[in-house]
Amino acid sequence: MPTDVENWKSEVYGSEIRDHLFEFAERGFDSIPDDERDAWFERFKWWGLYHQRNGQEGYFMMRIGTPNGVLEPGQLRVVGEIADEYARGPGTNPIFGDAYADFTTRQSIQLHWIELSDVPAIFEKLEANGLSTQQACGDSWRNIVGNPVAGKDAQEVIDAWPVIRELNETFKGNDDHSNLPRKWKVSVTGSADGSGQGDINDLAFEPAYKEVDSVEGSSTSSRTESVDSDDVVGFNVRVGGGLSRNEPRLARDIDVWVPPERVSDVAGGLSALFRDNGDREDRYNARIKFLVDEWGADEVRETLQEEYVDFELHTAGRDVREEYTYNTGAGERNDLVGVHPQKDGANFVGLNVLVGRMGAEDVLELADVAEEYGSGEVRLSQRQNVIVTDVPDDELDGLLDEPILEHYSPSPSPFMRGSVACTGTEFCSLSIVETKNRQVRYARWLKENVELPDGVDQFHVHLSGCTASCAQPQIADVSLRGMKTRKDGEPVEALDVGLGGGLGAEPQFARWVTQRVPADEVPGAIANLIDTFAAEREDGESFRAFVARHADGELDAFVDPEETDYDDPMMHNTKRTWYPYAEDDSLDAAPNAPADD
Amino acid sequence: MMADRLLRVNAYTTLDLVDGRARGHEFETDAPGVVNVTAPREDPEHVTLQVELDGTDTDELAPHADEIDLSPAQARTLGDALESTADRVAASRAESSADGDDG
Repeated sequence: MPTDVENWKSEVYGSEIRDHLFEFAERGFDSIPDDERDAWFERFKWWGLYHQRNGQEGYFMMRIGTPNGVLEPGQLRVVGEIADEYARGPGTNPIFGDAYADFTTRQSIQLHWIELSDVPAIFEKLEANGLSTQQACGDSWRNIVGNPVAGKDAQEVIDAWPVIRELNETFKGNDDHSNLPRKWKVSVTGSADGSGQGDINDLAFEPAYKEVDSVEGSSTSSRTESVDSDDVVGFNVRVGGGLSRNEPRLARDIDVWVPPERVSDVAGGLSALFRDNGDREDRYNARIKFLVDEWGADEVRETLQEEYVDFELHTAGRDVREEYTYNTGAGERNDLVGVHPQKDGANFVGLNVLVGRMGAEDVLELADVAEEYGSGEVRLSQRQNVIVTDVPDDELDGLLDEPILEHYSPSPSPFMRGSVACTGTEFCSLSIVETKNRQVRYARWLKENVELPDGVDQFHVHLSGCTASCAQPQIADVSLRGMKTRKDGEPVEALDVGLGGGLGAEPQFARWVTQRVPADEVPGAIANLIDTFAAEREDGESFRAFVARHADGELDAFVDPEETDYDDPMMHNTKRTWYPYAEDDSLDAAPNAPADD
Repeated sequence: MMADRLLRVNAYTTLDLVDGRARGHEFETDAPGVVNVTAPREDPEHVTLQVELDGTDTDELAPHADEIDLSPAQARTLGDALESTADRVAASRAESSADGDDG
């Protein structure tokens, strides 16, 4: 029997939702019948709108999907202007103020406090400037991710940007692929650093070489170092990765190599395979990772070959996974923060945006800076950061001297650059703890109070408010996930602690070792953990390697929660507030839905 | 013991913090836990009551969750029992509290 969501989708879904959305916007939020709200809120997601949490009736989160995180010249300014004009509500964040944009772990942008009546005007402005919220959420092709500096990165094996653009144009608004059993997350990466994080996506294309006499086409590597001249470069295909539902999976190798010109065919084939075979009776079992569990990689490949593509698939090529550095916890380029060379001789400059949140005024100022020193283009990474591209050598010093870079630094503390956090109880219906502001407080405290051992300049701490894993907690050095505990007899916000996760050639999910650490004792726990790491690490050992050689019980002892001078003002049950930072935060004090204007 | 949770825990979880106890013939261990009541969204045949005590606090047991399927009648019986017992406990606590005020 199909689920409620499947029934709602069977009635109205995909592009046609827009007309209904605009009609409700015209008639006002209250025109949505009470008994149809669940259905319409579910459908609105397809157009990038999530109704905010209990107590914030009538306000929406709007997600703008920016393929591969690319914001062309002028687009960041548009985002800033929209945030400034529309992303304001009855609650004020004590750290970030009244209007801000969130850069997400999937290279998208989220705005909050959006009113339904403003949606048509926002869509008009976005679309006039080449931006869209289409399929940013919902059961279909989500924002396609990858190495954000595709086409420019000097470390690139192949330029994935034309491939991503083609996929975006082919599958956004495509009726054959608009109603899938569940979300469909695709990563296409052309660089050898692993920055597309393909392993945690439903479908991943990763750079790989194949002997030229066995393939059609003539793609050649854009790398400058020598490769076997008989090789052409394309992509190996992996399927069924994802972090959610307490059941993380790494994408499985299905032994397929595809040239760039056929990525769309294979991606469409796999999307259709998922559409036709995914579980529509149980949304918790619907993601393709569970289908791959059931079938195995071989059957996925066989079914793709026999039923969904009309050409002979190649076996996998020679990948470059051994070179991956992104989010590995060791070596260079664990992220894309800092100054890096482009292949055209210019530079890209990655700026750390702590927990991915930037006030609207800063967004506009950064847009100015990007225009003054670069091409005006910026790009978004999967570590919630912003990259200013196309900066010539002779403009670098000027850019680095800009005051805004004091706050969004290209050379931040490891604890600042290593911080990732989801939305949390401020707006999210699922979260059970405060997250973004808490991670800001954590990072600032750790920066002031904790020294990493010599040679360790990366330390990733990811904070997720629940088991949905939007902050990708399982792939961090320290993974934090929302829980509750009791302290001095009172229930307080707490976090489960996992250790030793990361990506790379041999990706590893964090091992959860300690449960329910009171939130105010987490910084002390991390400090004690790092002290033990410093005292007991072997020569040059990375934190991840240190974790790998210890048993869970030993690691649990290393965590050692402790009160410090860190002060946490959000220990109370923030999920039971209408807005955690309101003077009167009780649900009874929640504002009415915004009046139509 | 491994600390990864089996039950999803989010804002829709019925109780994300309860005081629990695992008891066997040879052991008894206090542990916090999670309790959830759920059923399939469409055409559910039973109510499922889920209980998971924290794995790190129960060394004698492998990490696990207990799940009990209840018919609607059984779920109502359980609900009635919980409610009537809760009334009795609440009354007792109120009485104790009032007694305490006498001092």
